[in-house]
Formats: sequence, structure tokens, C-alpha cells
Amino acid sequence: MGRDSILKAIKQHKPDLLPLPEIDGARFDDDVNLLDIFKHNVTLVGGSIKEIDKTLIDQEIKKQFPDAKSIVALAEASSLGTISVNKQTNPHDLATIDLAIVNGAFGVAENGAVWISEKESIVRVLPFITNDLVVILSKEQLYLHMLNAYDAISTRDRSFGVFISGPSKTADIEQCLVIGAQGAMSLTILLV
Amino acid sequence: MSHAEKATIFNKNEAKVNWHDKALWYVREKRDNAAHNVKEWEYLRDLASAIKANVLSDLDTYLVEFEANALKNGIKIHWASDAEEHNAIIGKILDDNNAEKVVKSKSMLTEECHLNPYLEAKGIEVVDTDLGEYIVQIAKETPSHIVLPAIHKTKEEVDELFQEHLGTKPSNGNPEYLTNEARKHLRGKFLKADVAITGVNFAIADTGGIVVCTNEGNADMGSHLANVHIASMGIEKIIPKEAHLGIFLRLLARSATGQPITTYSSHFNKPAEGKEMHIVIVDNGRTEQLSREDFRASLHCIRCGACMNTCPIYRRSGGHSYEATIPGPIGSILSPGKDLTKHSSLPFASTLCGSCSNVCPVKINIHEQLYKWRQIIVKDVKQPIVKKSILKIAGSVLAKPKLYDFAGKSARFMLKYTPRFMIYSKLNAWGKARELPEIKNENFDQWYKINRKK
Ligand code: SF4
Repeated sequence: MGRDSILKAIKQHKPDLLPLPEIDGARFDDDVNLLDIFKHNVTLVGGSIKEIDKTLIDQEIKKQFPDAKSIVALAEASSLGTISVNKQTNPHDLATIDLAIVNGAFGVAENGAVWISEKESIVRVLPFITNDLVVILSKEQLYLHMLNAYDAISTRDRSFGVFISGPSKTADIEQCLVIGAQGAMSLTILLV
Repeated sequence: MSHAEKATIFNKNEAKVNWHDKALWYVREKRDNAAHNVKEWEYLRDLASAIKANVLSDLDTYLVEFEANALKNGIKIHWASDAEEHNAIIGKILDDNNAEKVVKSKSMLTEECHLNPYLEAKGIEVVDTDLGEYIVQIAKETPSHIVLPAIHKTKEEVDELFQEHLGTKPSNGNPEYLTNEARKHLRGKFLKADVAITGVNFAIADTGGIVVCTNEGNADMGSHLANVHIASMGIEKIIPKEAHLGIFLRLLARSATGQPITTYSSHFNKPAEGKEMHIVIVDNGRTEQLSREDFRASLHCIRCGACMNTCPIYRRSGGHSYEATIPGPIGSILSPGKDLTKHSSLPFASTLCGSCSNVCPVKINIHEQLYKWRQIIVKDVKQPIVKKSILKIAGSVLAKPKLYDFAGKSARFMLKYTPRFMIYSKLNAWGKARELPEIKNENFDQWYKINRKK
């Protein structure tokens, strides 16, 4: 069988053990304004971002997405939801969702990414299949870079989680950037 | 056909070659900008390289650890010694699930194993869902670049293909229109698929999880909708700890396209409730490469494509001239290990300028390995093939001064865009790595607009 012969071949051919390097995380520290860098990078990757008072969230979303009808709102700060989902929801039923409003667990300044796990999205496909995605994020929940980000999720209950940096995009036709490939057409982050 | 002969064909369309060359160099420049913006970039590369070296030196232990953790989480693990076993395993999973429709996201490994023709022969519909891969699939071609599969196609060619296959209206190659039409078409495929097949960017030993990176979201659309998700990975995709993703994800997209990270970095640790998840761990020649001390480090590769974007030969010969799943500098090290005679011309498809090694995020000594293959080939492969290769490479790919006339008399432009060996040939650049001087006078978009009109 494949397994034993592969493992045997590796044992036979691998070089002498080389050490795993120590990572000196302090070398990546940088005394910078996380909020500014995060905002800059969200815009750079094609997302939009706005600081907003918690009580004005729904007003803002309605202004930005006046035509959205099928809305899944999982963030408790919004009451715009028209469709409820739970763990048993068939992901195919979400095919015609206009807008999903979810909490982001935290953001990463260096690349504008937000971490969204199954805890936040309930149905895994939601942040991808929705036409537009709004993420509500606390501005206290920002990390400088990915090493910090992995520290933050090191003890999570692992099922599915994703770093999302901007809306889906492609440049596969002559390197012309087109926003809106197979996933969400837009990403809006509302910072509270 | 040798690389040089194939390259000659590619070079028949001068405008296209020029475009290809500049487009890839532009991606290389974006990579430079992204890298320069990261504090301790070189330290990140050192760490990534050292982690990969550790992985190879203890690969069996890590694979067993990965397997045990994945099994604990309800993921099914399969092992395949070669392409045939890989395809048979996937075929069996499809049969067990009565699957008829498959959506695939980008996976160079399934290309390497020729999975699509195998499944199609079984009567299964396979749709590649990465836009670039979809384009080459309907064109009945193979990817010419590992990150930009359709970089060899003009937008007009894509327009025609879509008219034929998707019934789109003629649009003069409007990228937004065409992308949106593909989106609509692929939506239907995602919603009807029985099984989703994806690649694996990283497999994490200490959690048994995998990470898949895409910009389009196609891997997620496929895997979260279908009942069964199959992920194929080479044995070298293992990293020891999840925390190491903090190193690799900082390097991957910046090296590939200059983005700070891909749009989606998806972490799969458990199948969704009521669904199945399978991982196929594949050797297919990798343990043999592991046995070759001089070429072992080629297994560090995280498939970012940076070595292709920077390579003066790749840029002017196109990915198909390599006649291998992985083209470019890294492909030219991997392919001879699989079939030395067939791929004997590839290690000569290089100026040995060292630019590939300079940009490689995991610090593979690519150009040194190319040089080592040359020495083996000169000894082991019939001489006429070798001589023909050496002489023809420079002749057909690079030494057409006419090709460089398009920029008029602007010496600065020439300096910026001409492959370095043209500039430094008098200084014997063939054995030395030199960086081009930084000259910024025209961005790609301007160049593009001006030159497309000509
Ligand atoms: S060899 Fe290095 S530069 Fe080339 S694709 Fe692999 S990781 Fe990227």
C-alpha cells in the first residue's frame, strides 16, 4: 500500500535531522498605529471601511445597500435580517442571498484581513455565497501581523475559519483586476 | 520538442511576447514593493527556509502526526504512491458517492496527475473553477503559469472562447463582462456539484488541518456546497505547527502577486456536519527527489510563481515551452528528476542570472541546482540534444534585438525592461547575479495602453 512504502522511502532518503528554528517574534514588532494601517490595507485590497457609532449601523447598511432584500444578519448589532439560518441550514438555500452581516473576530493590520470562523458565519458558505458582505468589527480587536493573529486563535475550537482580505477578485484576463469573481462582490467593514 | 524549439514558436507573435514579458515583470515589481513594505522580510525568508528544511529532515514523523490529528477530526486520509493511485483513489470516492459532477479549484497536483482526463473517461463532468483554469480548460490547453494559468491568452482570445462555450456577446475582450459571465456560469456548476476537489497550500502536522488560499473564493464555493470535499496534497506540503502559517502566509501572496495576503485563506479542520472530507497524500516522485542531495531543496517550493515572473527566459518563452506541469525555473529543476531525457533541455533554459533564487520566498538555490543538472545532463544525455539546446536557447529566445525596438529610443526604458543578460552580457552576467538598477519612468498600465494601440 501507498502509506507504508511512502513512509519507508522517506525514512530511507531523508537527510540528518535539522533543527526547527526558534522564531524571534520581537523582531517583527513595530510601533505603529494599528487602526491606520488596517484601514489603509482594507482599502488597498478592494474593501471599504468606516468607523461608525454602534447605533447607526443599520442606517448605514441601508444607505449602502438600498436594494438588498434577502439579508442574513448574524451580528447582534444589526436587526436587518430577513432570513434566519442555523447549523442545519442547507448551504444551497443561501444561493440568492443579497447581503450577509456578520461579526469579525479580529482584524490583521498588515493585510486588512478579518478572521471569520464558523462561530461567526454559522453556515460555512455564507461569507462566500452572499452577493455583498458586511463585517462588524471592534476597533479594539486588531493585531499587527499574522504571527500575532495565529497566537490569537491558537486555542480555538477548530472546525472551519477563514481570513478574508477584501472582496473576491481575479486578474486572470490579461492581468486586468476585476472585483467580484466567484465569492462576494464587495466587502464592507464597519468598525465600532 | 526542446524548450528552444517550443520557445521559437511562442516568439512568432512578437506583440504577444512583448506583452507577456512586461506583464510578468510588472508582477515581479509588485512583489518587490510588497516585500519592501514588510519589516524583517529577509528574516521571514530565512525562517521559512529553515522550517522547510526541518520538515524534509523529519517528513515521515510529521506526516504520521498530521494523519493522526486529521483522523481524530473526522477527516479521511488516503495515500498515493503515484498519479495512477491518486486518480484511482479519487475515482473510488466518486463512485462510493455516486458522483457525476465535480468542481475543482486550482491544484497543480491534480494537473500533474492528469486527473481531468481520467475522470472524464469515467463519464464524470469536471469543471475547473478558477477563472484562469476555466479558460485553459475550455481552450483544451494546460496552465502556462502556476499562479496565472491563462497569462498566455489575450482578452480577445478569451472573448472568442466564451462566445463559443458560454454564448456570450462579442465584447472586444471586456474583462469585467467576461468575468461576470463566467461567475454566473460557474455559480450553476457550484450549486449542482456532488464533489469538490481542491489543492492544499499548507497541511499542518500539529492540528491535522489544511489551508487553501484563493483570490476568487472558488475553493470555498465548491467545498462548502458539495457533500464531499477531496483535497489533494504532495507530501511536501506539511508544516510542523499552525503558528508557522504566520510566516508562510506573510510570504506567499506577496511573492506571488504583490498582494499582502490572498483574499481567502481558508482553514479546514473538520468536515461540516453531515459531510465528508478526504485528503489524498501523494508521493509521485517526491521521495525520489528527496533522495537527491543536490536537488532536495526544490521540495521547499510553496508554488508562488515568483521565480517565473522574474525569469528573463520564462517571460520570453512562455510556460508551455517547458512542456511540464510546473514551468519556469523551479519546473526546470523538478522535471529532469522525473524524466531526464525528455526534459534535458530545461536546465539550459536559464541565463543563470540568479534572479529566481533572489526572489524565492523559501530561499531555494534554484540557479545553482540548474547548473548542477547541466553537469549531470552533459555527462548522461546524448550530446547532440544538449548542444542543440545550449546553442538554441540564446538564439531563439533572447537574441532578437528587433523585439526590443518597440520602446523607441528610450534608453531608460530599455534598461528597465530588457532582460538583464542583454544588458550585462559584455560584463559576463551568465554566472553572476545582478539586480537591475531601480528606474521608474513608466508604469505597466501606461506601457500597456500605448503599446496596445500600436
Ligand atoms: S521555487 Fe520559490 S519562487 Fe519559485 S514558485 Fe517555488 S517558492 Fe516560488
